[in-house]
Amino acid sequence: MGNSIAEVSALKKSFGDIDAVNGLSFAIQQGETLGLLGPNGAGKTTVISLLVGLLKPDTGSVSIGNSSCAEAGDPTLTATRRLLGVAPQALSIYETMSAQENLDFFGRLYGLSGKKLRDRVNWCLDFAQLQDRAKSYAGTFSGGMKRRLNIAVALIHEPAILLLDEPTVGVDPQSRNHIFESIEALRERGMTILYTTHYMEEAERLCDRVAIVDHGKLLALSSVNDLIEQYGGASMVTGDLAELPKEIELPGELTGKSIRFASNTPLQDVAALSAQGVAFQTLNIARPNLENVFLTLTGRSLRDG
Amino acid sequence: MNQVLVMAIKDLRLLFRDKLGAFFIIGFPILMGIFFGMVMGGPSSGSDRAKMKIAIVDLDQSTLSAKFISQLADNGSIELIETDLEPAKESVRKGQRLAMLVLTEGFGETAGIFWEKPPTIQIGVDPSRSAESAMLQGMILESIGQLAGQRMGDLSSMQDMVKKSREQLANDKSISSGNRLLINSFFSSLEGMTQSIEALQTDADDSSSSPVENGGFEFAKLESIDVSRKIDPASQAGQMKKIKSKWDISFPQSTMWGVLACAAGFAISIARERTQGTMMRLQIAPISQSSVLIGKAVACFFSVMLVISFMVGLGLLLGMRPGSYPMLALAALCVASCFVGIMMVMSNLGKTEESVNGAGWAINMVMAMFGGAMIPVMFMPQFMKSLSILSPVKWGILAMEGAIWREFSLSEMMLPCGILLGIGIAGIAIGTSLLNRE
Ligand SMILES: Nc1ncnc2c1ncn2[C@@H]1O[C@H](COP(=O)(O)OP(=O)(O)O)[C@@H](O)[C@H]1O
Ligand SMILES: [Mg+2]
Repeated sequence: MGNSIAEVSALKKSFGDIDAVNGLSFAIQQGETLGLLGPNGAGKTTVISLLVGLLKPDTGSVSIGNSSCAEAGDPTLTATRRLLGVAPQALSIYETMSAQENLDFFGRLYGLSGKKLRDRVNWCLDFAQLQDRAKSYAGTFSGGMKRRLNIAVALIHEPAILLLDEPTVGVDPQSRNHIFESIEALRERGMTILYTTHYMEEAERLCDRVAIVDHGKLLALSSVNDLIEQYGGASMVTGDLAELPKEIELPGELTGKSIRFASNTPLQDVAALSAQGVAFQTLNIARPNLENVFLTLTGRSLRDG
Repeated sequence: MNQVLVMAIKDLRLLFRDKLGAFFIIGFPILMGIFFGMVMGGPSSGSDRAKMKIAIVDLDQSTLSAKFISQLADNGSIELIETDLEPAKESVRKGQRLAMLVLTEGFGETAGIFWEKPPTIQIGVDPSRSAESAMLQGMILESIGQLAGQRMGDLSSMQDMVKKSREQLANDKSISSGNRLLINSFFSSLEGMTQSIEALQTDADDSSSSPVENGGFEFAKLESIDVSRKIDPASQAGQMKKIKSKWDISFPQSTMWGVLACAAGFAISIARERTQGTMMRLQIAPISQSSVLIGKAVACFFSVMLVISFMVGLGLLLGMRPGSYPMLALAALCVASCFVGIMMVMSNLGKTEESVNGAGWAINMVMAMFGGAMIPVMFMPQFMKSLSILSPVKWGILAMEGAIWREFSLSEMMLPCGILLGIGIAGIAIGTSLLNRE
């Protein structure tokens, strides 16, 4: 394990009757991309708000930074905030300012100026691929462009941790792909990222480790492979047989010529069947994914919300 | 501090990018100011307004006095009624006539001769309409000027005049010898000129307009006579006397519209920061929570000062003449502080831009109506007058008027300024605590 750069412990936050965050503890390691995967209302945004000090926890604590950061501490401390870059779930950019002006303004708020500021603004415009629209009002942008700018603004001051709250919500597939690519580029540069989503594909593709949350509770936290191995259950094998086999004990039920069975060792099972002379017309082996993990952990589907 | 400025600059930029907001802050007050100025004082051209009814008393009964009267009557904006002294006074007192003019005896002898002692015209003006009387005085001078021009054209009277003047000059011991020489040579050349003109037999019909004032000579001495009872300086009429230009009233009043628009504009901008999510970014930026609000306050303060300066500048162009610039600056500072406070409270009146906009302008309208930004307080019915003390707009207008034409002393400024500052401080305190409570 590397060293952690942010930690929350026994975090609780409720709004009236709703326990939005209910005893959450985890640490973000330096350089990793940690996913917070959970359905809508799981408490992801609340966790982010607690992490950046927008909300005060009812109980528990948040600490940002480590011994290598002079500004380490509570996120309500002004200096600590410099370590954090946030792309909120709801867009938060000035619609009547251009992309460049948005970046420039927030850069100045973080104390940048002069050449350093200009360089950062240019870097961010490149990052968001908005160089050719730099001078247009953000209000004239497409949903995807606004999202990209929303993320770029979070990066203007080169934060130690980037917090992305559902950055692909309401984005067309092309922009979504672009966002994935730019996040992967950030990962390669060693950026520490907290990425919340309710899309398991995104967590699988982008995250080193994934925390599964539901009803404000942490259900599991590990690498994608570990989670699947632990909670994903068996692979699902489905196929159509060329002809009905005789006197062979099949591992699953047959409906017509279609076979379907779960297996922890799907390749071996299929090989064994072939060796016994069973010929497949079609064959599909579905490895378990985070969806299965979530189902195992909660009895519900991620999409049910 | 630096960050506060960064935010204030951003806010000002955004404010003026909002076309409608900018219109209400600058365009609307200008329109109001000019509109009310016109309604109150009437356009100075005088062509399309009701004629001024003037009573005229001719005690001289000379050809020249008759000429003067007919010339004055030719002026399209005056309706002359010749009467005797007492009925004339009575008519002005009762408000039937705007003013009375008395052409005193001997008027005809000296009128229009600019080196003579100017003739005396007595004027009695309805004190509540002193703004119009300035116009009347201008017209009288113009008519006298025409008289002078005609005398110049009338050669025989000109030659007569020159002869007479030379005699006078010879007898006048008060004129130094050097000047005497100068004036004598002037008369000689004048005589020579009139003779040569006579020789050419050209008719010097003077139809060209003649100057009202010429090289500092007085064409007529206007002497005012008191028509009505003694005027209490605090009375409406007394107050009105101090008004030097029609813009004096319309500008403080319409400037307040710009100020109200600034307050609403920034209140809305705070709500907009919330709805468009940028407030969150401001809150997590490495700046203190209070500097977010201070930034707004500074920007609002600055924009109010900008509006006031702009309106004063425009007023100056149109002829407004503030009595005291330091007092005007003081008034502006207090107005700005007051409306920063109001803005802070206003921004809490709703969660969305629309609700803050609606509630903010509703309050603005009430404040404007009772505060005298629609009708001046002095023209309000009594019940509105007594309610007007509740409106910050009233105190803002009073402070500005105090500096512009009411001739307030520093201690008289204390009342409106103190109230404005009080409202401002209370508003900032209440607004800040409400905003921080979320
Ligand atoms: N400001 C708030 N006031 C009341 N309830 C809230 C507030 N913010 C979040 N909640 C509730 O807390 C729960 C978690 O919300 P949130 O953190 O936004 O979930 P997620 O981001 O995972 O969708 C939800 O039930 C939501 O309705
Ligand atoms: Mg959320």
